[in-house]
Parts: sequence; C-alpha cells; structure tokens
Amino acid sequence: MRLKSLILWDMKFQVKYGFYLLYGILTLLYLLVLSAIPETWRENIAAILIFSDPAAMGLFFMGAIVLLEKSQKIPCAFAVSPVNAGEYIAGKVISLCVIALVVAAVLALAAGAGCLPYTLFGTAVSGVIFTLLGMIIATKITSLNQFILWTVPIEIVGFVPAILHLFNITPAVLRYYPINTCMDMVAGRKVTALQLFLTALLLAGLLIHARKCVLKMWQSAGGIKL
Amino acid sequence: MKAIRLSFIHMLLFVRRDMMLLAACLTPFLAGIFFRFAVPFLEKILINWIGTREVLAPYYGLIDLFYCVLTPVMFCFIAAMIILEEHDDHIESYLCITTLGRNGYLISRIVIPAAAAYIITTILLPVFSLTNLSITEFILLPATGTLQAIITALLIVTLSTNKLEGMAVTKISTITILGALIPYFIPGKIQYALSFLPSFWSGKAMQSQKPAYLPISILLALIWIYPLLKKFSKKIS
Repeated sequence: MRLKSLILWDMKFQVKYGFYLLYGILTLLYLLVLSAIPETWRENIAAILIFSDPAAMGLFFMGAIVLLEKSQKIPCAFAVSPVNAGEYIAGKVISLCVIALVVAAVLALAAGAGCLPYTLFGTAVSGVIFTLLGMIIATKITSLNQFILWTVPIEIVGFVPAILHLFNITPAVLRYYPINTCMDMVAGRKVTALQLFLTALLLAGLLIHARKCVLKMWQSAGGIKL
Repeated sequence: MKAIRLSFIHMLLFVRRDMMLLAACLTPFLAGIFFRFAVPFLEKILINWIGTREVLAPYYGLIDLFYCVLTPVMFCFIAAMIILEEHDDHIESYLCITTLGRNGYLISRIVIPAAAAYIITTILLPVFSLTNLSITEFILLPATGTLQAIITALLIVTLSTNKLEGMAVTKISTITILGALIPYFIPGKIQYALSFLPSFWSGKAMQSQKPAYLPISILLALIWIYPLLKKFSKKIS
C-alpha cells in the first residue's frame, strides 16, 4: 500500500515537473528521426535512442530529483516516516520505468522491432540499473554541476561499449558485460542464462548499495546525524 | 564593476568546489585534441572497414561547428545550473537588490562566461579545426556558437522554476543546437522548415561553404536572445 502511494506520488511529481510533456515532445522528435532515416538503419538507431534516453532517464534526472527533495527537506520527513529505503527506491525506479517503457514501446513499434517483449524487458532492466546509479550518485552530491560531472564517467562506461557492441565492434567476451546484455535485449536479441545471471548480480549489488546510500542520506538529513 | 567582479569570482569559487572548473578548463583542449587527431584516425579505420572513399570527411565542417559550440555551451550550461541553484535557494533576488543589480547579475552569470568561452574558442579553433576556414569564419563561427550557448542557458533559466524543471528544459533546449545537422541530412526545401533556428544557418554555412549565412545565424540568435533576456530580467526582479 505504501509502495503504491509512493509510486503514485512520484508519478504526480513527474507530471507536475513536465516529465510526461517532455517525453511526449522527445518521442515525437525521435519518431521524426526514425522516419527520416533508411529502413535498414531503423532497428539499430531505435535501440540506441531507447537505451540512451528513456532507459537512462533516471541517470539524467535523479540528481535534480534528490537535490530538489533535499532543498524541500523531504529526506527529513522520510527519515521519521514508516517508509523504508527500499520502498523509496522502488517508488522512484518504478515510476521512471513507466515513462521509459511507454516511450520504448512507441519507438520499437515505429522501428518495426522484431521482439517487443524483449525490448521492453531490456528497457526495464537498463532503466533500473541507470536509475540506481543515478540514485547512488545523487545521495552523495550537493549541487547539480557536481552530479553532472559524476555522471560523465558512468555515461562513458555505460553507453560507449553498449553502442559498439550493438554494431558487433567489441570482443566476444564483452557480451557478458551486463550493460551490453541490456543493449542486446533492447535491440530484441536473445541472451543466454549466464548473461542474465551476471546482469542480475549487478542489479542486486546496485540495489544493496543504493539502499545503504539512501539510509546514510536520511540519517544525516538537515546537517545532523539522526 | 567591483560588484560584478566579486559576483563572478563567487561563481568561480562555487564551481571550483565541484571540480567543474577543472572540467570546464580541460574540455576545450581534450575535445580539440580528439576532433583534430582522433577523428582523422577514425576516418582511416572506417574507410578500410567500410571500403568507401570517405566516411566522416564530408562532415568535418560540422565537427568544426560543434567544436565552436562545445566550450560556450559548457560554460553557459554551468552558469545556468548555478542560476537554478540560486533560484531554488532564493539567493538571486537578494543579489539583485544589492549594488550588483539585475544587469550585474546577468553580466556576471551569463555574459562573462560566454565572452570567456568566445575568446578561448577563437584562439583554439585555428589549432584544432579540420577544415580550411577563412579569417571571417574563425571570427564568426565561435560567435554563432557563443550566441547559441546563451540561447540554451536563457531557455533553461527562463522556462524553469526549479532545478528539476531546469533539467527537463535542458533536454529540449539542447535540441536547438541540432539544427546544424539539418542542412547535412535533410535535402530539399523541406529543410527550411527549421530555418527559424540560428544553428540551422550555421550548419548551412558550413555545408554549402558560404560564410554569408553566418551573419543570418547571428541576427536570428539576437532575435531569440532579446525576448528571453527580457523574460529572465522580469523573472529575477
């Protein structure tokens, strides 16, 4: 029940601050791009668009979301409320994933992607990974510029190998790199059980670390240790 | 003047604390080295791999153009983020009623970083450019990039009321820079549908190798900046 409320409030928050409008405009723009490029390129370009934007939106926005909450003293309220860190993280992750999945579905359908469930599953997994990474960074920073600077290495490590992997430019062993597995799924390619297992391991590690970081942020809310 | 200088130094100290100052200082050089040396190297690899005569070479002008936009956008973006933080903390209203004033605030936060970016880009462009540019282009191209960066920053700080909205507007405002791609990738008269973007004319100048289009880009950018500036002044008053 608490989780449902958190998700709904996060979604209202995202509507209020224009996320839905923004992604409506961006989806239209991406559809224009997809319609302007040759048909043979469409699937790969759609995979890059989905992977680098809706799936990674958590990485881009989490800094601003958490900083705004900090400036409104919301972590102090969470720290003394029955909401636990896991529910707080799940609320953010699921609400952002909803937008990512809708945008990904529209783009995949427009590009004529082969396997929509694979693409959506890949988008959801990528979305969770990037949102958790964004959350971990956001709990440690004090300004937007700091957040943007911290996300640059993650973007390089996250996007460059995945895009190269999409075009089969990387060594075969890198298909086990969890981010590349996500890209495979976004592109509608089948993945092995080992690839999925390694991705699940990364997810679990990020979840545990994000939970610790959120708890630490709540415990030191308002400049004092609770 | 002293108030503007102090306000600018205050911003620099804020940025230095975040390590963003170091990043901003290094970016023009790192990007320049990448564009000047890695792109031609990549071109050789791609030609061997794909087997065509040229792959990236037809877009060298576009890469030069993006180099001219890169530093100004980075400097103005950092300034825009600081303005958003100051807006959320209600600092800007206090600054504007001091001797600094609205104009001083604007100069210290937008004009000085943009001017610094223009000077840096104008000095570095002859070193790192991939195409043979004329002196007029060496002067006008960084100017179009700088004005484009000012538009981006003003869009962010004018259309948003807090840092979260600011990040959302950032995504939209950076699209205005992508107008430079249109003349390269959309043939025919349909491309003029986006001719209201200053970056479109910069792209057109590089694609058709006609620097005469650059003053159009500058004029159009000034037309964009004027109402945004008025709206921003009204917002911080």
